[in-house]
Amino acid sequence: MVLGVNAASKNTIYAPDVARITRIEQISPTEKVFKIVFDDEEIKNKFEFKPGQFVELTVFGLGEAPFSIISNPKNRDFFKLCVRNAGSVSRALHNMEEGERVGIRGPFGNGYFPYEKMKNHNVLLIAGGLGLAPLMSLIRYILHYREDYKEIMVIYGAVNPESILFKNEIQYWSNRGDISLCLSVDNPDDKWTGEIGVCTKLIPRVKFPPDDTYAAVCGPPIMYKYVIDELKKKKFKPENIYLSLERRMECGVGKCNHCHIGDKLVCVDGPVFSLWQIKNLKEAI
Amino acid sequence: MLYKVLDKSAYRDFVKALISEYEFIGPKKKDRSVHDFVPIKDISELDTNYMRVTIPPAKKLLFPPNEKLVTYEVGRKIEVRPVIESDEEILFGVNAWDINGMNFLDRVFTTDFIDENYISKREKLIVIGMDSKPTETNFSLSMGTEYAKDGFDIYLTELKDKYFIRIATARGNEIVERYAKVSDATAEDFRGYDKYMNNYRKKFKMSVNIKNFYDDFELIYDNEDFWKKIAKNCYSCGSCNLVCPTCFCFNIKDDIELNLKSGSKTREWDSCMISEYGLVAGGHNFRPDKENRLKQRYRCKLKTFIDKFGKYACVGCGRCIEACLAKINIAEDINSVKKEVSV
Repeated sequence: MVLGVNAASKNTIYAPDVARITRIEQISPTEKVFKIVFDDEEIKNKFEFKPGQFVELTVFGLGEAPFSIISNPKNRDFFKLCVRNAGSVSRALHNMEEGERVGIRGPFGNGYFPYEKMKNHNVLLIAGGLGLAPLMSLIRYILHYREDYKEIMVIYGAVNPESILFKNEIQYWSNRGDISLCLSVDNPDDKWTGEIGVCTKLIPRVKFPPDDTYAAVCGPPIMYKYVIDELKKKKFKPENIYLSLERRMECGVGKCNHCHIGDKLVCVDGPVFSLWQIKNLKEAI
Repeated sequence: MLYKVLDKSAYRDFVKALISEYEFIGPKKKDRSVHDFVPIKDISELDTNYMRVTIPPAKKLLFPPNEKLVTYEVGRKIEVRPVIESDEEILFGVNAWDINGMNFLDRVFTTDFIDENYISKREKLIVIGMDSKPTETNFSLSMGTEYAKDGFDIYLTELKDKYFIRIATARGNEIVERYAKVSDATAEDFRGYDKYMNNYRKKFKMSVNIKNFYDDFELIYDNEDFWKKIAKNCYSCGSCNLVCPTCFCFNIKDDIELNLKSGSKTREWDSCMISEYGLVAGGHNFRPDKENRLKQRYRCKLKTFIDKFGKYACVGCGRCIEACLAKINIAEDINSVKKEVSV
């Protein structure tokens, strides 16, 4: 049977757009931040994302993997990804240099952090480890429109002081004075003067009225149950708690089925869900 | 829908004409127990009276086990080209539950995003359906998939001395008008068809109690002992996925040619039963246990798509039951859930 190859007349959802890595920054022993710009002006202008969305990044000839966008959605000329050297694609990416090309599909995810709904309310952001990355876009957006939001608090837990991500930015937040910060590490070094232990222990200190507060949570899978328990004790409403879930995602467009949890697909229905949406969804948490 | 009848004596000429005029894919005997859909060049190769099942199911024409999606050139400039492969061809002799399987895949590949790679093939595929005899593991009748009401162009039902023909598309009508001498179905033909369907439905020996499964499943979900018992012998081999007419999980992999200049993205069938299915970078596995994966397969087949499309993702063909090395039987397990809940 002869199959006609009908190139370029039709597009496919699996074809990435070509983009350039314009800047690479090592921000911890295992994480780098990549600044990425599309080659094509039209694609660049069309690319718009919301806090919590992700892209599928192709290292040509090697593979594709999903990464959360960490930059402020207001920046339309570029976007940034924070990548841990953990898998084959991220390892290859870590070996790349500024000026090299990657492929980008996205942004994906109909579930994002509801930055509009959060306006005129307090926002509590809880991050564990690399979980700070998906929250960065939201934090940057909120700080961009700081006057639209009430009190902002970031609770962030890392394994040790060395692995704290976005140190410069965190320094900048504490200089601003209009965002409270609670940092905790599991394994302190001699110089550490902050909190010690898992970050969930810090939640009882939150003084925000639960009716007037949104929570945004991202961290390793094990963290969610404990965070939810603490927030429940604080009487947070499930519809005001937003969680970014991680699952294996091959396609990003709701086809390959790897990220399904019951009737939800993390790639198209999430990756950010309200606790209410997944409250009774077996195995979500 | 148009209803016509074709005299049995004219059937061979009709099929011969189609074989000579089209790329024609039909069931051919592979060995003692299995047929496969392959290109047919002569009517003698065609065997529509297949007693057993076709393996793999006809979905392979729409969603091949290996499918190039994108090619690219990596040089100073990177050029990405989509690969949309499709050519008009006839799929002949596919049965009702497998058509319903393709209808299910149509929903999957057009929900949220349109999958051009799939849908361009589906649009070009002329489907001519025909009933086949259910195997003893077939429970399509319980799943409501023993009859296809859409998803085909032409459907032939063999009555005593004629074929009762349902024509669902303009394209199908054109083919019938050009290559077959048909006449309009009369009231008597409809009566004959109705009688045939009653007899046809009596041939399905296996049945499942699926009625309250949607809710019962919630109750049984956390019963670890139950799932351990059911999955005890599972080898996590994925045979059930490979033979399934509705399974659609896939991986996408990037390859580079030896010249290091051109590469491609290919999708390959994946299996939710193998242990890497839920593995993410960094080593966390969201579905590390075989009992959890089997439970997940049942959830996907029998509950998830009731929520999403109001349909089961299982057509009850029984292929997985026959393919399973560990004799895991989805039909028995559906009934076990019912039994467990009723106790």
